[in-house]
Amino acid sequence: MKHAESPPSHDPRRGSPPAVTPAFSRRELLRRAGGGMGLLGMALAAPADASESARGPHFAPRVKRVIHLFMNGGPFQGDFFDPKPAINRYAGQRPAEVQLRTENPTGGLLAVPTPYRPRGRSGLEISDLLPHLGEFADDLCVLRSLYTDNPNHGPALFQMNNGTITPTRPSMGSWMLYGLGSENENLPGYVVLCPGRPVRFAELWTSSFLPGEFQGTYVNHSKLEPRQMIPFLNARASSPEAQRRQLDLLQELERPPDGSPSEPAFEARLKAMETAFRMQFAASNAFDLALEPAAIREEYGTGHFANGCLLARRLCERGVRFVQVYYGNGQPWDTHSNHNEATPKLALDIDRPMAALLRDLKRRGLLDDTLVVWGGEFGRTPTTEGSNGRDHNHFGFAMWLAGAGVRGGMAYGASDDFGFRAAVDRVHVHDLHATLLHLMGLDHERLTFRYAGRDFRLTDVSGNVVRPILA
Amino acid sequence: MGLAAPAAPTASTSDVAFFEARVRPLLLNRCVGCHGSKIAQGGLRLDRPEGALRGDAGPVVVPGTPDASPLVTAVRYTNPRLQMPPAGRLPQAEIAILEDWVRRGAPVPAPAGTPGSAKGASRGVDPAAGRLHWAFQPLRRMDPPGRTLRTPGRSRVDAHLDAALVKAGITPAARAERRVLIRRAYFDLVGIPPTPEEVEAFVRDSAPDAWQRLVDRLLASSHYGERWGRHWLDLVRYCDVPESWAQTEAQAWLYRDWVVQALNADVPYDRFVSVQLAADELPGVPPKDLAALGLLGLSPSYWKELKLAPDVIKTVVAEEWEERIGTISGALLGLTAACARCHDHKFDPISMRDYYALAGVLAGTRLVPRPLLEPESAKRVLGAIEQVRALEADAKKLQGDAARDKMRAEDLRRRAAEKLARAEEIKKGTPDFSAPLAYGVETASLAVVPDGPDRTRLEHRAGVGQDIPLQLRGNPASPGPVVPRGFLSVLSPGTPPRFTRGSGRRDLAEAIFREGAALTARVMVNRVWRHHFGRGLVETPSNFGLQGERPSHPELLDDLAARFIEAGWSLKWLHREVMRTDAYQRGDRAPAAMVARDPDNRLVGRMVRRRLEVEAWRDAILAASGRLDSQVGGAPEELSAAGNNRRTLYGLVRRRDLDDLLRLYDFPDPTGHSPARFPTTTPLQQLYVLNSSFLGQHAAALAGRLAKEAGDDPGARVRRAYLVLFGREAQPHEVRTCIEFVGQESRSAKPEEAWTRLAEVLLARNELAYVE
Repeated sequence: MKHAESPPSHDPRRGSPPAVTPAFSRRELLRRAGGGMGLLGMALAAPADASESARGPHFAPRVKRVIHLFMNGGPFQGDFFDPKPAINRYAGQRPAEVQLRTENPTGGLLAVPTPYRPRGRSGLEISDLLPHLGEFADDLCVLRSLYTDNPNHGPALFQMNNGTITPTRPSMGSWMLYGLGSENENLPGYVVLCPGRPVRFAELWTSSFLPGEFQGTYVNHSKLEPRQMIPFLNARASSPEAQRRQLDLLQELERPPDGSPSEPAFEARLKAMETAFRMQFAASNAFDLALEPAAIREEYGTGHFANGCLLARRLCERGVRFVQVYYGNGQPWDTHSNHNEATPKLALDIDRPMAALLRDLKRRGLLDDTLVVWGGEFGRTPTTEGSNGRDHNHFGFAMWLAGAGVRGGMAYGASDDFGFRAAVDRVHVHDLHATLLHLMGLDHERLTFRYAGRDFRLTDVSGNVVRPILA
Repeated sequence: MGLAAPAAPTASTSDVAFFEARVRPLLLNRCVGCHGSKIAQGGLRLDRPEGALRGDAGPVVVPGTPDASPLVTAVRYTNPRLQMPPAGRLPQAEIAILEDWVRRGAPVPAPAGTPGSAKGASRGVDPAAGRLHWAFQPLRRMDPPGRTLRTPGRSRVDAHLDAALVKAGITPAARAERRVLIRRAYFDLVGIPPTPEEVEAFVRDSAPDAWQRLVDRLLASSHYGERWGRHWLDLVRYCDVPESWAQTEAQAWLYRDWVVQALNADVPYDRFVSVQLAADELPGVPPKDLAALGLLGLSPSYWKELKLAPDVIKTVVAEEWEERIGTISGALLGLTAACARCHDHKFDPISMRDYYALAGVLAGTRLVPRPLLEPESAKRVLGAIEQVRALEADAKKLQGDAARDKMRAEDLRRRAAEKLARAEEIKKGTPDFSAPLAYGVETASLAVVPDGPDRTRLEHRAGVGQDIPLQLRGNPASPGPVVPRGFLSVLSPGTPPRFTRGSGRRDLAEAIFREGAALTARVMVNRVWRHHFGRGLVETPSNFGLQGERPSHPELLDDLAARFIEAGWSLKWLHREVMRTDAYQRGDRAPAAMVARDPDNRLVGRMVRRRLEVEAWRDAILAASGRLDSQVGGAPEELSAAGNNRRTLYGLVRRRDLDDLLRLYDFPDPTGHSPARFPTTTPLQQLYVLNSSFLGQHAAALAGRLAKEAGDDPGARVRRAYLVLFGREAQPHEVRTCIEFVGQESRSAKPEEAWTRLAEVLLARNELAYVE
């Protein structure tokens, strides 16, 4: 599937010179759109070749693109997807099974206030905190036995995003882009939406030692004006026509006068320049939520996360390979205190948008080749930190996948009786990464890059594809 | 049924490969934590399957019969009394691997082990055999073949290159035009383009030594150190702003400026490096050179959450050592020694013992702020700084209390004021209190120890170095034997020198330039060559090991490296030696047949166009607009700040949050050693060209400059633009096309705006992003 935004047509012969504006927006272009002639010299449908550096898949992919809904801070698995009646039964007590060391000392078990119920035909148990998402129980593949290596945010964020606890490796989105290239050259192939900043920053979407073209493009969508989201998207030229004329001049000056072929590197840069020109319209369009019908906006609801989910759908629709939606600024899920007060609010904020995203993707047939991934960098303790909080928990946590290539309506793996530690069919983050790459047609052991004398992988020297969840 | 040696002598290569690829990692991951050398639960060790696969209760594997093998029974979780691992059943895929392995007869590699090597973890390497690799061979002058050598004044470099060209039947490209040569020399040596007047003067200079004088002049320029300093800073992952927890009041740029000045002064490369590793341990180093310690002082630092267990923190510390060893070995020795942290190097003769012999040096090296003062004064100043900080913190707290407690406010404020006054007194009363404070290191041995049941503490023993235990599989929780600090055995004929003084950094520096001199010289010569020609004699500049590329011209590399040492490790000598060659002065036009025969230009029969790094490109734009602020040295400034017209070298580099321009244009990630930059061409870069205010502002400035310098004649302005930007005359069709464009734009814009639009296009040209 290839996507290209056609630039708006405009007849430069019409009317008076365009007003000098500091920038031109999509609306302005639409307003100006006139006669049948395209902007001078511009190809209407942009070629969207896959990046030359991309490796291509190792086998037929089930998933073409991924949306990662990232609950930065770390949600508690027991609140949503991993019912553990024993927590409430032994609330306040500290059985031997929960004598595990996390970041802070914790005390007895802290009861989980909201009940679960079986949902869908599958009967998958989902908390009443997420009634809308519950409607999609038969699409969800819940992983209940994840674990990671370190109970600190920084290392765990790196583990989840870059595959190791140290910030020196390419991010998983970079690996995906490196492996598969982009589906739409008019947009960045890897977009990170965060309304603010997570506690670790650009190293979470770095291409590190992979070529720079594979890095994630960070977009702060707390302001919804597309021109403020992407660096340098805000046009400097007085009008698109003037900029088009400049590019035409550039092309003419760059053409060797004797008709000889120009240097491939020169050609490549000019081609990238043309793509950048088109990107101004394509990206302005892609990031403009004002173009969505009111009914759709309504369906997703309001707030940064809802906007992020809707933007993710728009980007995914246009072939962006990997979109990450951070829940919020900082680490909003990091409920060291007042856990049971904060959690329902957070749940309320994500429930509708997640459901709307799945519904919308389904409706458009996109869920057939898109995978949605939900989760944090780790989980939280079933035991109490302070009087009413929950501490970080790297021993066990839950995530879910939905969409292409995975079985719906199932829970894989199990945690111990109190949901503290992954116990059965344990899934390390390396295994999750191996599985995601596998779904994208990439063998995690063969997706390598030679650096500092060895072949590096997203999964380091580990990782097993979790085959039982594959559809 | 006994099973003393499951390693059937007939284990086939594919079986062993299966074991190494599938089974050993699985055992290491899943079992060795409890069944290893440190803890061997039930007397069973699975870290050395080459030995006996048996525990106290007998053999755990019956080759060929999974159902009869206790190991398989345990992982299947079918017998409630025998379930392993205790934390939970393995994924089915892993169980299947173990079953498959037992079914194949439980093949394992033949037992290996070098006497003296660490138990079970380091099979040891054979340094004598390893030394046969070309990069570890002794260095000597290599005379070029044939008569070409005897031509008086002929460059030995050319003679070597020509020999290979003749052999390949390639006629090299002709000498480049003078205007091309001067531009090449400027970008290569100082990173900014020549002015039109400088170009003109050089083109007209018919003296035979014109080129030599040009090279000498540029080497003497203070901008030389800025250009080559940046190349160095890439290698050592320099940043102005380290991780938040590593930030101190020290100023990182003191190190950057030290590098620039040292290169300008042509400090011999051995001294240049030694001071960076061990300024504090070497005798007679003036205090200002302590700034050189930034190489290690600005090392990446990873967060150590002291609420976690000591083993977790030790892992973080071990990761830091790995990065530092990676940088030191990669940048200086062209070796990937960090690969030997968890196992002997897979390809190179570097053992785990070698790795931990180096890691001990870093285990005795602490990152600290250092005033650029003599030790006594430094100590006094640091003490005073500490006192002042404490007083200021107290004062702040008192002021806070005063804001909350109205009753006692007056008294609290008075006490706060007293504290501040005392702090001022100390500042005034301490000579050199505001002396420059640099990111440096000192000798202090780190121990990671428990601090009660719930915390961990870092203990530093000042002034002493330490030998550390090898960490089996790179796991600090599995310590092996203590490894004395010392140099890489493959580079040390005989017994590797031991590092015993202080942290061992001085010993390390000496070994690098004694035992490691040949390799070190080859690596640096290759780096300089690569920057001049766009391609190295070895195209893997930080990997001269067995997996690296072999040199295109081994004799030339050795000859140049040997003479580099003879020339006292002078980098400026090396530049002269390279730039005086015919090869360096060739044009980029080459007949198709030659390109077909040597498409990568391995034989250096021509010069290839090179993309300018982001620094040179941005600096060239500043130079063209006439706004370049060429002040050398000083504090960094945000690149995105309006009106920042300083050279790009001085743009603020945050380790973990690069400026957009740097990030888009292939600036190396300063979280680790960068062997070389690899330019990419992306649409997001071109958005910067199309839309950044930087290009807009400097296009307007360039348009203004053209009007001022060339008057009202449009043709004169265009011609001036070409001279300023590209150092050449504009072609008639270019002049015509540009004038037409300005005329057309003038219909919709004021003349200045029309000229600015033209300037934007000219600044976007490929010619400004490449050097011929």
